[in-house]
Amino acid sequence: MSEEYVIQMKDITKVYPNGTVANQDVCLNVKKGEIHALMGENGAGKSTLMKMLFGLEQPTSGEILVNGEKVNLSSPSMAISKGIGMVHQHFMLVPSLTVAENMVLGMVPKRSGCLIDEKKAVELTEEYAKKFNLLVDARAKVMDIPVGMKQKVEILKALVRGARILILDEPTAVLTAQETQELFVQLKNLKNQGYTIIFISHKLKEIMEITDRMTILRGGRSMGVHETSQVTPQEISRLMVGRDVILKVEKDKAQPGKEVLRVRDLSFTNEWGKKMLDSVSLSVRKGEILGIAGVEGNGQKELVDMLFGFSRPNGGSIQVNGENLIGLSQREIRRKHVSLVPEDRMLYGIASTATIEENLISDRSGSPELNRGILFNMKAIHKETEALIKDYTVLCKNGSQQVGSLSGGNIQKVVVAREFSNDPALIIADQPTRGIDVGATEFIRKKLIELSRSGIAVLLISADLNEVMELSDSLIIMHGGKIAAYFEDTAELTDELMGRYMLGLEEQSPEEIRRVCHE
Amino acid sequence: MSRKNRTKFSIIRGAAALGIGLLVAFLLIFFGSEGSTVGEKFSSALDALREMLISPLFRKDGSFSLKNLSDVLAGMIPILFTGLATCIMFAANQFNLGAEGGIMLGAFVTSLVAIYVPVPGPLLIIVAVLAGAIASAAVMLIPAVLKAKLGVSEMVNSLMLNYVIMYFLNYLMKSFLADTSKGITQTFPFQDNALIPQMINNGSRLSWGFVAGLIMVVLSWFFMYRTKWGYGIRMTGINQPFVMYSGMNVAMIIILCQVLGGLLAGMGGGIEVLGRYNVYNWSALPGYGWTGITVAILAGNNPLYVPLAAFFMSYLTKGCTLMSTNTDVPAQLISIIQAVIFIFFAAQQFLSGYRQKLVVQSAKEEMAENNAGKEALR
Repeated sequence: MSEEYVIQMKDITKVYPNGTVANQDVCLNVKKGEIHALMGENGAGKSTLMKMLFGLEQPTSGEILVNGEKVNLSSPSMAISKGIGMVHQHFMLVPSLTVAENMVLGMVPKRSGCLIDEKKAVELTEEYAKKFNLLVDARAKVMDIPVGMKQKVEILKALVRGARILILDEPTAVLTAQETQELFVQLKNLKNQGYTIIFISHKLKEIMEITDRMTILRGGRSMGVHETSQVTPQEISRLMVGRDVILKVEKDKAQPGKEVLRVRDLSFTNEWGKKMLDSVSLSVRKGEILGIAGVEGNGQKELVDMLFGFSRPNGGSIQVNGENLIGLSQREIRRKHVSLVPEDRMLYGIASTATIEENLISDRSGSPELNRGILFNMKAIHKETEALIKDYTVLCKNGSQQVGSLSGGNIQKVVVAREFSNDPALIIADQPTRGIDVGATEFIRKKLIELSRSGIAVLLISADLNEVMELSDSLIIMHGGKIAAYFEDTAELTDELMGRYMLGLEEQSPEEIRRVCHE
Repeated sequence: MSRKNRTKFSIIRGAAALGIGLLVAFLLIFFGSEGSTVGEKFSSALDALREMLISPLFRKDGSFSLKNLSDVLAGMIPILFTGLATCIMFAANQFNLGAEGGIMLGAFVTSLVAIYVPVPGPLLIIVAVLAGAIASAAVMLIPAVLKAKLGVSEMVNSLMLNYVIMYFLNYLMKSFLADTSKGITQTFPFQDNALIPQMINNGSRLSWGFVAGLIMVVLSWFFMYRTKWGYGIRMTGINQPFVMYSGMNVAMIIILCQVLGGLLAGMGGGIEVLGRYNVYNWSALPGYGWTGITVAILAGNNPLYVPLAAFFMSYLTKGCTLMSTNTDVPAQLISIIQAVIFIFFAAQQFLSGYRQKLVVQSAKEEMAENNAGKEALR
């Protein structure tokens, strides 16, 4: 039985040095000559699992068998020598070199000892391109070729190095619809030639179209192996996004007041020409929490970037209390009483080697209350930060401790303490409880409800279904850069219903969606 | 890591870097020294090393030498200023290397004012030094604004700017300003009331500029740790996206720190010329800016540690000069010793295994404390 598997990953557990458990007793068995899907939401552990298969990370426990033989994949070159190739989501190509030069990187054909044999490199490229029907322009510079061709170069690169098993990490994320179709034809072609493909994705339609079997991951655990032809999209969506634990949060009914945030027809096309936001309109009123659910990568990140001035939309308008936000700096946006709990707390939320105190005053360091003449009023700063540390139960010795030495939950409490305490009219909470402990999660959720009931407008973006459903008064679902659905009341919602909208199986009518504008 | 362990680590790391630097120095001296047997070589190398380490403070007979000590202190004056300048710029992650050109320009402009501008009494000193400081600050706007507005690397720009300044000043000197009655290129003498008085009249040139330098150390510390601007500079150095997200003006901070760096370097140049010379005769970059970079890195960008680092560098320089005078070891050795110490200080991973141990130890202590606290609550 086991001979038919080219890859067997047995009871793989991976614990990162910072304590994150990315995989827990995961098994993955891939048959020779199949296209095997690895599915799951962001953070489900797909990438970690594949990194271990490609030798970029080592498993904490468990074993990996290639062609029935136990292997120790200590580096990518080890994996390559076992016939495993990986096409990364973000291309690993040198833009200033030609396609052929990229192809032969690290295995350059030489002429008279030291000179690069340009001709041979081109020949080799063209030979492989023809053999696998992956047409590329060998002499063009990588920076000049379209994304679809770059991907082909990546695949060819793996094949030239003798890969028989290809790992494709979200290969369609950057492709247009036609390029995706082309890729699928080529993948089927490879499959017919006996190659094995592991296809990472969270796009249901593509998985149904191209794969033979699938392994679904959720929260670092395996949700089982399924024959693609034997499961329905509904089952998959339930397995992928289903909820594990239900944390109940008490809240009274919202009494929405006047409109605070007003977004109309917001559109954004990214640098690769992909439309990330498509005429998004929504309103958030005083005293309510509007949740945004959706699989990551469907425009939520772009929406937050526009709202907080990190990038500029191509069209549309954003207003807070009637005042425009587009084109303003973060400084000016904050003056309009907008607060952001950023998704990437280590990048934007904190300065990790600075003290807790220094992190708590970053948005108000110039305020008259904290300064006396040209000097800081250290007494006032200590007083304010000590009060915040106490109110938000940040577990630390004192305010002069480095913030980076705290646990994830306490770091997030520092961020939240700062963002919630600067008299906001609108709070944008982007994945406010991702990756933090239950205690801090509960605290932050309660605080969000408390603040919204005190008359603050809250926009909550979360990939955690439980969170958006429990906290939100009303909820929208984003898919493909658009609002796919609006629910005025979250009480009647089920996981399954949401899953269908999140994965693009269903979409509400424009009139139904338009209700989120409260006009 | 706890604060105690952090300090402990910094001290041990610093001492280890110094120790390795001295060991390398010893080996080099050993292989280069006279003597036919290993024993002879060893003893002459030891002699040279003793000369380098001890003679800046003590004479041959073991008595304390005030002259040598005041030479060391006088040598600190220019590098106190360039060290502070570099601290402030590096603290914001702005790798501006312009303190070198800045100190030269400051010295030059101060000299011009000291020669030609009629200001009564000691006021002239202040006016002249301020003029030098402002000139240098203004020039530093070039790399600063280019970085803030266009993202041009301040490192490359400031580095090139040093040479532009040097050649431009040499041109001005040779074409217009030199006292042609003298054999070398130098200006006319400063007005008498422009000279900074000496603290000790023993030929060391230890002027009151030294005290001015120490005052600037304190002011710089207050600026960096007790004002919103210094805070902004330090936060930018740690995490620039965080500063932007927090609503601070990143472009302003990038410009501010470099202008202040120019100001301090220029001030140092002015104080150095008025305290040490009575004419301006620099024809090449003085090297104080480069040493200032070492000082800033040794001080970990904290102004309070700048005097220590400057003392150390000045001490080593003096020691090497004495060593080359009294033994057959060349003074250039100091460059090698400096380089070795510098490499170990700047190396991120140096002793990182030891640091990891301290981190683990701290974490364990914290866990034990937490548990003890919980027990106590029960």
